[in-house]
Amino acid sequence: MRNPAPCKVLLTVALGIWPLLSSAADQSPAGEQVIQPQLDRRDVKVLHIPSNDFELGLFTGTYSTQYFGSDLVGGIRLGYHITEDFFAEAVYGNTRATDEVFRQILPGGVFKNQEEKLTYYDMSFGINVLPGEVFFWRHTAKPSALYLIAGLGATHFLDQRHFTANAGFGVRAWLANWAALQIDMRDHIFSLDVLGQQRSTQNLEFSGGVTFFF
Amino acid sequence: MQYELTFLTARWSTRVRAATGIAALLLASWLAPASAAEQVQVTEPYIELRTGPGRGYPIFYVAERNEWIEIKLRHTDWFLVRTERGKEGWVHREQLETTLTQIGTKAKFRDVLLDDYLRRRLELGSAWGHFKSEPMLKAWLSYNVTSTLAVEATVGQVQGVFSGTDLWHLNLLAEPWPDWRLEPFFGIGFGKLNNIPNASLIGATTSDAKLADATVGVQYHLGARFIARLDYTQYVAYISDSRIDQYRAITIGLGFFF
Repeated sequence: MRNPAPCKVLLTVALGIWPLLSSAADQSPAGEQVIQPQLDRRDVKVLHIPSNDFELGLFTGTYSTQYFGSDLVGGIRLGYHITEDFFAEAVYGNTRATDEVFRQILPGGVFKNQEEKLTYYDMSFGINVLPGEVFFWRHTAKPSALYLIAGLGATHFLDQRHFTANAGFGVRAWLANWAALQIDMRDHIFSLDVLGQQRSTQNLEFSGGVTFFF
Repeated sequence: MQYELTFLTARWSTRVRAATGIAALLLASWLAPASAAEQVQVTEPYIELRTGPGRGYPIFYVAERNEWIEIKLRHTDWFLVRTERGKEGWVHREQLETTLTQIGTKAKFRDVLLDDYLRRRLELGSAWGHFKSEPMLKAWLSYNVTSTLAVEATVGQVQGVFSGTDLWHLNLLAEPWPDWRLEPFFGIGFGKLNNIPNASLIGATTSDAKLADATVGVQYHLGARFIARLDYTQYVAYISDSRIDQYRAITIGLGFFF
């Protein structure tokens, strides 16, 4: 089959160019050079660099409930590093408290059951201070930092929720660029009226854990 | 029939090929960040490599001008680079700002500017305050649909002497002057409230209620990614057909944008 397309294209191009050529010839006087733009084409390259400002960690340790013994605590933390100095962190933890001591002199005890669950959550702001290096062995130095942290949250204990403030400090030592060891000492302060009078209690927690950055 | 069959198998094989192709592409894109790190050339007289991502960590190596370095990772304002000689360390953004990419143009590393604040999308924060004279704690997540309009989700808890309250609400916020540093905002929204009396109270029942709220507040750009915020909210809880409760809350908080 005959294809008329090439002829058509040629005709169109010729017709399109003709007026341009004739007008260019009319406008530029003979001998004058048309300006050639000396511009380089700029390629813009956007760098794609992975980042790891978020952290997710698991921790365990001991939580001492004032008046009610101390027990193992376990929890999870989610953090975001806003700048090299500041970070925000949300923590959920869970432990148990016992009124065993009271049961020795008060046969009924203070709680319904001898052991009661205690859970808490808090949202805190931390600041990294005293950056340095820890030496795991003779040839291995890893960056570390001491941090100060404080925040607010709630403690759920004996079917009641208590407004809780927390403050403390900890040490973070990087094992790799994506993981760190964390040791944390925290005081949780909330008021309790279980023993007949509303009293502010200091509940100390000492924990250690692993944190992953992503 | 034979023709149809071969046609069908051909179609199937193209489909299978397309599927494997897509799978391979996905796999490649998943693996890509690990293998293809960004290369830049140093234009400063030298850049300093530190052992950790912070200005307090010691400098252990210096890369000179014209040296090619590989950027592997970013942590806040610090970049993990690898030099030609295989040294790996953290460099601050400022020292990389004038570096060149492989095609000879300046690499883009930007500070958090006022511009980023004005164009922020996602914001997260928490606040503390008083709800009907009892301590309240809340966290919010807001998304700026436009520079003057935002959608915000809030969850809060009130720890009272006699009861505890959980609440959540969704708000629509208007920010008519987004370019002011101390920026007022107004919002209305709806949500739910759940009041749980303390176990020691006798005869009290938990109550669920629908909630409407109106809020007015100011937020202040502290610098970098931080925002301070003060707000006043009037809550209306529809407890039952014949009972409406009103609560006032004032909170102060700290947030940051991504």
